[in-house]
Amino acid sequence: MDPGLRRGSDGEREPDGVTHKSDVLVIGGGLIGCATAWRLARAGAQVTLLEAGDINAGASGQNAGSLHFQIERRFIENGEALAEQAARIVALNRLAITDWRGLEAELGADLHVSMAGGLMVAETPEQVAMLEAKVRRESAEGLASRLIDGDQARAVAPCLAPQILAACHLPDEGHADPRAVTPAFAAAARAEGADIRTRTAVQAIRREAGAFHVGTADAAFRADRVLIACGAWTAHVAALANLHMPLYPVALLMNATERTAPVLPQLIQHVGRRLSMKQAYAGNILIGGGWPSRLAQKADGGFDLGAKASIIQASLAGNLRAAIDTVPMVERLNLIRSWTGVTAISADQLPIVGEVPRMPGLFVAGGGSAFTLGPTFARLLARAMGGERVAELDLLSPARFEHLNSFMG
Amino acid sequence: MGMRIEADVTRGNAITIIVDGEALPAFAGETVATAMLAAGRQVFRADTGGKPRGLYCNMGTCSECLVTIVASGRRVRACLTEAVDGMEIATRG
Repeated sequence: MDPGLRRGSDGEREPDGVTHKSDVLVIGGGLIGCATAWRLARAGAQVTLLEAGDINAGASGQNAGSLHFQIERRFIENGEALAEQAARIVALNRLAITDWRGLEAELGADLHVSMAGGLMVAETPEQVAMLEAKVRRESAEGLASRLIDGDQARAVAPCLAPQILAACHLPDEGHADPRAVTPAFAAAARAEGADIRTRTAVQAIRREAGAFHVGTADAAFRADRVLIACGAWTAHVAALANLHMPLYPVALLMNATERTAPVLPQLIQHVGRRLSMKQAYAGNILIGGGWPSRLAQKADGGFDLGAKASIIQASLAGNLRAAIDTVPMVERLNLIRSWTGVTAISADQLPIVGEVPRMPGLFVAGGGSAFTLGPTFARLLARAMGGERVAELDLLSPARFEHLNSFMG
Repeated sequence: MGMRIEADVTRGNAITIIVDGEALPAFAGETVATAMLAAGRQVFRADTGGKPRGLYCNMGTCSECLVTIVASGRRVRACLTEAVDGMEIATRG
């Protein structure tokens, strides 16, 4: 295609050739990037999206598709202070429940969204106590989770093991298909006129006279606002703008069994062990829950995000053991796939979403939970990038790490 | 398909396996997948839309050749499962 014919490239000439102009430039073709591009394009903005690889090639497409709205186990296992802070994310989880309920109709696409409920189970009295504390926090934040005993849990999900003592039940939880969601957002964004370019790696980001100039190997772009939503690559891309962003890559493990008859409509998690389980629409049982894989390393130090992370055998064994202990019938199923995916976690575990105070007009989004919360982040980001003040994002603002950028920008 | 080499080969004993009710000739030491392919059966299972799927990697990696051993109900990879005389296999369920 002749670049001159693209929308948003109507003319400003600079010494180095054509500069493609748009209102907003999104870097990253994952769930958040594509969904934000769609929201903004639908609101009438000229949007360009640049993706270094392919749409949905990173964590957005590699995760196991949980829609988890209870407070995550990772927030509970690291002490009271963090648990207290993390409880505040429940307000966003509640928005996400509403967003997911409407998404298929809004996009006119089958995303295999199933919200048949979720159970976070406990096997020991200590774990039951953790669930009790968690439910108290969630109730205070207005989430409709409730603690039920083992028999009640097995009445909800008969496949649960006899030694499950209790569970926290939330009727809104469930799962969706990571291979369908982001491509649907990308297609919707294109239909609204967004210019989405894949295999287009950003190599330079410069802010000048209130506008951003973004360079790739063979093209130049200019936009009033920029969103960096590159998952594990976010810190690298932020560095192009001379900014620090405390997002660290982590490699996780996911597994799929062969298809089987419908046995598990709910999302199953475990409060004391790393585990998520669900049955996908095709019948496969997906098993994950945050077991680590090993990031590839570069010869000169640092992690190589361009190379595949490798499976750690002890993680594989531990993950499958937790699955069998929780839902014994999976022992009879063949494991057909195990794969790794790389996401990012922030310095304080909460996602980072919003405008960077040091660089007005530059927005960042990343830091985990971004399948469940991604559509909500995107909806709120689109409002914020449109100039609105969005209080819901205050908790996740990059402003809390502004000290890192005291000498940057 | 008639793909078996017939000249200058030594085989195990002639045996029979039953696939979806049909008796297929095989030789001891062959896999279920070999016997099925030699008999011209390329369909090993169906996808969720009912479309036929067949053996792909023939080395245990892809799981495209999952079939059911009727006696135990176990799902196995036909490419890794040795044919046993009288063994009954189903390509559905």
